[in-house]
Amino acid sequence: MELGIHNLRKRYQNEVVLDIDDLTIEEGVITGITGPNGSGKTTLLNVIAGIEDCYEGKVLYGGKSYSDEIKLKTTLVFQKPYLFRRSVFDNIAYPLNLRKVPRDTVQEKVREIGNLLSINDLMNKKGHQLSGGESQKVALARAMVMEPELLLLDEPTASLDPESVVKIEKSLTEYQKWKGCTVVIITHNIEQSRRLCDKVICLERGKVALNGVL
Amino acid sequence: MEYIKQGFIEAFQLLLQFDPEVYDVIGLSLFVSTSATVIAAFVFVPLGVYLGIKDFKGKKMISRLIYTSMSIPSVIVGLVVALLLARRGPLGFLGLLYTPKAMIIAQTILVIPLILGLTYSMAKNRGVAIHKVAKSLGGTRWDSVILIIRELRIDILVNLATSFSRAISEVGAVMIVGGNIKGQTRVITTTISMMNSMGEYPMAIALGTILLIISFGIHSIIYSYSQEE
Ligand SMILES: Nc1ncnc2c1ncn2[C@@H]1O[C@H](COP(=O)(O)OP(=O)(O)O)[C@@H](O)[C@H]1O
Ligand SMILES: [Mg+2]
Repeated sequence: MELGIHNLRKRYQNEVVLDIDDLTIEEGVITGITGPNGSGKTTLLNVIAGIEDCYEGKVLYGGKSYSDEIKLKTTLVFQKPYLFRRSVFDNIAYPLNLRKVPRDTVQEKVREIGNLLSINDLMNKKGHQLSGGESQKVALARAMVMEPELLLLDEPTASLDPESVVKIEKSLTEYQKWKGCTVVIITHNIEQSRRLCDKVICLERGKVALNGVL
Repeated sequence: MEYIKQGFIEAFQLLLQFDPEVYDVIGLSLFVSTSATVIAAFVFVPLGVYLGIKDFKGKKMISRLIYTSMSIPSVIVGLVVALLLARRGPLGFLGLLYTPKAMIIAQTILVIPLILGLTYSMAKNRGVAIHKVAKSLGGTRWDSVILIIRELRIDILVNLATSFSRAISEVGAVMIVGGNIKGQTRVITTTISMMNSMGEYPMAIALGTILLIISFGIHSIIYSYSQEE
């Protein structure tokens, strides 16, 4: 779904951390967000995801305001993922169980995503005992399995080894082509945004400093 | 000093002979305080989590109210419940005063602020991150509450053990609403207090030892459970 952001202003204790007049994020492509630390990238993603709901201005999802329906089609993978104290399988199955998906379908979908991200060997481990990199992959799987129309990722490869980065990037592009979803990804790595993104937005002190194709 | 030594010897004889009076008293204590903790937990654990993760106007005020009410003296709770349940009181027609039910009511009211406060502050500190994850995956606020209870179950059990310990070790409320009637409303603490004033030290020491074992026991069971997880 296309995202429209209008006159968005977000403050923390009177300090403006986001100030965006007009920004459109295109449907069905991968958009990258870059910018220095503290420039408001995470805050912007939280606003779009509906996690942060105290702000001025409007965010429109395919022309509509945020609603329960949008919530079910949108997901955000946090920079520091939190995994539940249960097996990796149950972690990934969680969003499907919330949606009352039948058991067989859950099995099938979790395996499918596990294959895509090469994490099927982790399935029986406990979520809270994984390494940082493993957690990031599982959190990504937990988001992908719900087949969102809007997938928001906050530095999803930050704690991965170089080999895993390549693999995950490949899986992500593959997944996006397959499902045709809209992806917004925060990354510090220019090379990565070249490899992954169709569009790149650069934030500086809460404002859009650059918006275009690399 | 001799009477203390003698007291301990006779106390262990009482316990090992399975003196029915002693075990009735222990049984009633466990029953009353467990019931109170469980009843209060059913409603106030979910409510504490819910309030902890929700933003609303006056949240600071509510926090203060919850935290101050945690230290309410048990005698006051006993007094209020006794006034309500007294024959001429508004709930006098129920005929509950000086029954175990009245004791459960009083102890439930006593542990409610404790359970609510401990759960609330736990959810405010550690539940918010979990709530965000649940929300990002499409969950409602109640889905978050259920998830947080499952994720923080060990902390919740520790909180409940703390509340149970407060209940089983208080004298004021159960004394006032129960009346320490032999064979009916006598619990560990009221018996200790009475036996002590009568100079019956063996019985007091025996029950005191049991009270300690119960309190330590509960906490060490929960500790080993949390280590296993
Ligand atoms: N909960 C918060 N309370 C106060 N200030 C915050 C909070 N979250 C973020 N900020 C501030 O907002 C600014 C933007 O933060 P963030 O969006 O995390 O930046 P980025 O992800 O680009 O590094 C920073 O200056 C940060 O200190
Ligand atoms: Mg950030």
